[in-house]
Amino acid sequence: MIEVRNLTKIFNRGKFNETVAVSDISLKIKDKSIVALTGPSGCGKTTLLSMMSLILTPTSGEILYDGDNLLSGSDNFKTNFRRMNFGFIFQHINLLPQYTTIENILLPLYAFDAEPKEYEERAYSWLKKLGIYDRATHLVEQLSGGEQQRAAFVRALIREPKYIFADEPTVFVDEETSRIIYRIFMELREAGKTIVLSTHDPELIKVADEVYKIKRGSLA
Amino acid sequence: MMKKHRNLLNYSFDCLRRYRMRTAVILITFLIATTMISAVLFTKDGLEREAELSVDSSPDLTIQYIKAGRAEPISTAYIDDIAKVEGVERVLKRTWGYAGIGDKTYVVIGLDPTGLDYSRGVITSLESGRFLTPEDDGTGNVVVGKLIAGMLKVKVGDDMILLSESVDANKFHVVGVFSDESSIYTADMIVMCLSDANDFFKMPEGMVTDLCVYVEPDQIPNNVAAKMTSMPNVRILDQDLLLRGYRAAYGARGGIFTTLWTILLVAIALIAFSQAIVVGHESKFEVGLLKTFGFSTLDIIEVRLVESAVLGFFASSLGMVIGFVYAAYFNAPALVDILLGWAFLPKEFHLPVLVSATSVFSIYAVTVVPLLITTVVPAWLNAITDPELAMRRAAA
Repeated sequence: MIEVRNLTKIFNRGKFNETVAVSDISLKIKDKSIVALTGPSGCGKTTLLSMMSLILTPTSGEILYDGDNLLSGSDNFKTNFRRMNFGFIFQHINLLPQYTTIENILLPLYAFDAEPKEYEERAYSWLKKLGIYDRATHLVEQLSGGEQQRAAFVRALIREPKYIFADEPTVFVDEETSRIIYRIFMELREAGKTIVLSTHDPELIKVADEVYKIKRGSLA
Repeated sequence: MMKKHRNLLNYSFDCLRRYRMRTAVILITFLIATTMISAVLFTKDGLEREAELSVDSSPDLTIQYIKAGRAEPISTAYIDDIAKVEGVERVLKRTWGYAGIGDKTYVVIGLDPTGLDYSRGVITSLESGRFLTPEDDGTGNVVVGKLIAGMLKVKVGDDMILLSESVDANKFHVVGVFSDESSIYTADMIVMCLSDANDFFKMPEGMVTDLCVYVEPDQIPNNVAAKMTSMPNVRILDQDLLLRGYRAAYGARGGIFTTLWTILLVAIALIAFSQAIVVGHESKFEVGLLKTFGFSTLDIIEVRLVESAVLGFFASSLGMVIGFVYAAYFNAPALVDILLGWAFLPKEFHLPVLVSATSVFSIYAVTVVPLLITTVVPAWLNAITDPELAMRRAAA
């Protein structure tokens, strides 16, 4: 279970442009569930998601995974935890433009004591499922926005992580691909994964077990 | 863990391929800079070694007569006084000067026949023929440098004509040719017996250009020289002074080395600057992304370290090889005149080139180390930043 306690993030603290992005949010996320964070643009969804996924340090508060407050751990500990447990789908996709689709997908595996090539079969199977099998060896800059989003989706799932953090995962994809993604999320939940996502997509919200609405950095 | 390090290594090589433009810029700049600097340094090392060899073959002390601050012929009457100084083993007469053949000038040295059995140093290192003996005194027999032999196409047994200052033609007979061992010292040298040199230079009776003093083996030349300071109108040169003079002439001539080192450092600084600015944003984003995926700070440093080290060592090593070939095989066109501007050496002369460990280390130190610092430090700074912030800042 993920438990967030009194999480606050203030950017540029003490400066003229100080911004309170997230203010005193507490929530609990059960294992094997899909949780959606919704709210208008700039309300703090991405910031909250980033803090929960340990890629942004909160100003104050606690984040507990199965009862352990991970924020008290070292940077190395958090990095290790991310490597072993998390998969990420970013709003801005974040693929490396000079790499091919398959190279981008296998990139997270370089941090493991594993042979990335051994995961190729799994990667191709996901690419087939998402309809971009024939784009595997193309440079990502040659892919459309929707295709890039699907490639990023496969990258997040390549290690079959326990927790998946997805920031607007359907924002660049067409309806048909969106439907595939909803189905995959549900399959992943069935497989025991926990999915935390931020979205405006009403269809995706319908898939969620729990929905948290955020307004101006706080739970509405 | 081995697979992980191999993955990181592969990723480093991928980076070199991916940042093609940066790789090319660093490679080309490093090649030009290290080629230039290594050609100069390797030649300087070679010239300094030549200087050391030259000094090894010179006497412990050289005595010159000074008048109005300039060296003039010295009377052989000084020999008795010098020989009496405690610690002096032997005093030999020497006459030397310059002679012309065509438009070239060469060094002519006349050695005291009584000291010709006194073999020391490289001056007796011959490629062919024999060295002079006391019996050669007054016969016109000479030993010549390899450069002269090559240019005049003379060999042992041939005759050669030298023009004296009064434009008299003097015929000499070649009995030996020096070896390459002390190439720059002996290259333009014509060695003959003292009386032949005195005749050639029309030296007044009882006068020579300088006196060569050899001290007893257990004596320190400087201490012996100190006992001669009371002698009027003489200048005493020891080997250290000669070596310092040679080194100053070869090593730091015209500030050329300082200039080249400055050029190199400026080039490296520019690369470092472009690295920080041009690749900075892309690299910052990449580091943030890698950290998100679980690459540790050490993993990121390892990637950047390998990437920079491979590029830096490859470019610098290749530059050194090209620099060596440029100096040793092509005689460093455009550099040779600056390096040897003081010497009367024609272009047929081949530069003495020596690759010393100190120079190789220095070149690596001023090329690879700055590159490592300018790539690893920003990567480390990004790696210790929250990945989300690193990516946001890169995108901003």
